[in-house]
Amino acid sequence: MSEIDAGWAGTLHRLWSAAVAISSREQLADLVLPPLQRLPGVCAVWGLRHAVRGTAVVAYRWRGLPLTGERQALAAALAPAEAGPVRVLDPGDELRDLGITAVVAVRFDQPGTAGGSFLLAVDDTADLSFVSDCLAQVAGVTREAIRRLSGVRDEQQQQIRDALLAEASLQMDAVLDTEQTMYRVPRMAVPAIAEGCLVFVYADGKPQLRSAVHVDMRRLDAMLRDPGAVERLATPGEHAQELRARGRVIGLLVFLFDRDPERIPPAAFLRDLAARAALAIDNSTLYEQRRQEVVRMQQHLLPTRLPGVDGLRLAASYTVGDRVLEVGGDFYDVVVRDNGEVAALIGDVCGRGVDAAALTGMARHSLAALLQEGLSPLRALTRLNARLHLDGSWRFITAGVALISADRRTVEWTSAGHPAPVLMRAGGPAGRAGGGGVPLGVLEVPKLKPTTLELGAGDTLLMFTDGLTESRDPDGRMFEDAALGQALDRLRDAGPQALVDDLSRSAAATDDIALLAVRRDDE
Amino acid sequence: MSDDLVLVVEDSDSDIEAIARAIGRSHPDVRLEFLRSGTGVLDRLTADGAERPGLVLLDLNMPGEGGLDVVRQVRARPDLGGLRLVVFTSSEDQAEADACYAAGADSYIYKPINFALFQSVLSRTLDYWRSREPNVTHTVVPPPGDSSAQA
Repeated sequence: MSEIDAGWAGTLHRLWSAAVAISSREQLADLVLPPLQRLPGVCAVWGLRHAVRGTAVVAYRWRGLPLTGERQALAAALAPAEAGPVRVLDPGDELRDLGITAVVAVRFDQPGTAGGSFLLAVDDTADLSFVSDCLAQVAGVTREAIRRLSGVRDEQQQQIRDALLAEASLQMDAVLDTEQTMYRVPRMAVPAIAEGCLVFVYADGKPQLRSAVHVDMRRLDAMLRDPGAVERLATPGEHAQELRARGRVIGLLVFLFDRDPERIPPAAFLRDLAARAALAIDNSTLYEQRRQEVVRMQQHLLPTRLPGVDGLRLAASYTVGDRVLEVGGDFYDVVVRDNGEVAALIGDVCGRGVDAAALTGMARHSLAALLQEGLSPLRALTRLNARLHLDGSWRFITAGVALISADRRTVEWTSAGHPAPVLMRAGGPAGRAGGGGVPLGVLEVPKLKPTTLELGAGDTLLMFTDGLTESRDPDGRMFEDAALGQALDRLRDAGPQALVDDLSRSAAATDDIALLAVRRDDE
Repeated sequence: MSDDLVLVVEDSDSDIEAIARAIGRSHPDVRLEFLRSGTGVLDRLTADGAERPGLVLLDLNMPGEGGLDVVRQVRARPDLGGLRLVVFTSSEDQAEADACYAAGADSYIYKPINFALFQSVLSRTLDYWRSREPNVTHTVVPPPGDSSAQA
């Protein structure tokens, strides 16, 4: 083995060792071009990277004679059109004028990734056979390095896509709000898999843009100002995936790409992401519809308005606890009796859902009708208790009735296991009135607790359900323990409506909260 | 302006480490400079002779001045016009995104939990803005490293 041969064998060995450790094609050029340049008689080494599709050359690298300007077209023309063995080419006049006597060329391809060519410009001192052998060996190293790089890249991209699907699913599962869901999908996708992402949802058969995110929002805004562009975007196509849930097409998920085609994710992945997004959007839409039905039904269980009553100001509020999908059982009402007395009633059926709602409607209407007819609170509540027993209901009801005298000076408060109301004295402190009694539906003969209260001018009787007092702050303390007193102090001079609205907002409602305030007018 | 310098404004140690690791791998030619609060950003950018970064990567929620404050301060300075401001946050509040855009942020980018995704998000963001630098036109985005190819 000659000295040159032995040197090359060592070089080749180092190339193979290094080729498996590189992480980019840039490093590859730095690795393989210099040893070729050092071969005897080699004046220049040119490396060309071909486009994945078509005949374009996307990158030029060189050692020795610079591959710039018009020489790039010359090199592209010299490069073999297809992969094959090393060949020796005529250099052409331009290179011959520079002392080049031959060009030794090889092209190698790798399916699915950009192929490349090496061109070695040699002078008459080169051993063409030896240079050709060396080039063939370097092409082999390069092809293997590209294959490995391609495998690593595919694996990394698959990891990224898997991670994106996992995070997107997590994000979408975390919300049941339609707007939030439609925002989170494109926000997750940009720019990991696309430069832009838009959500269109069909309404009356027409696509409506509901959410749009782009890495460059100003550019997107400019695009969206053109109605024609929006219409084109909303057309199903390769990068506009249908949002299909439960057999229906509900919209389109459109991806905008501004990247190397090799970095555009496969259509199967985009379809997968669209399928998950469609289901999340559909779920949140169905949830929202059901939620609105529940709110409407809840409203039907409560009086649409409170009566106007001489000498009193009335206010009520109802807050639905959490975002649960079932109708709650709190109720209130106010009736004016023929003799001028006013009966304000409040109650809470245990449990939620359709059965509780039916009982809530029955309880409120029964009590209101009986009190309207002139029955005493004691008798009205007793009749309701008997009705619950007759129906064999296992549910119980806490209820309280405040019967306000015709002169508005006294209140007869009758409690059936209901939380004690608050009596806010005009200009003075607030205190709790009596509670007591046993909820209706528990005992065959009800145990009720009447209390008589004096209602001074400007005094307010505040009735509520246990959703208010038992709501908890982030530290787990019940609202009743400290926050209620502080809120009442703060709201001492507030009007009845402001009082109930503010209180319902102050408590972190996990259960429903009904509030009913009765204030005696000032003298 | 130095296209290869990115100023990162981030207070979380773990995020600083992850950003350095991610950009170090995807863009080894990019130099990173870190500030741990929004408070010193304007001074850093306007100091005499200071090297101007090509892009500023901003966390949104930081003690003291956050990312949104920095966006407002920078956009109020005509001499800093054209500086790319990228807000990088895990916040899912759309109102915050709207506020950042209204204030003049160029990008509002999701900060993922998974590192592979984290690296991809940063890499794509850098690729996008570096390919759109003023006075540079690209039909095909050339890979970095052209200059080192000349021997």
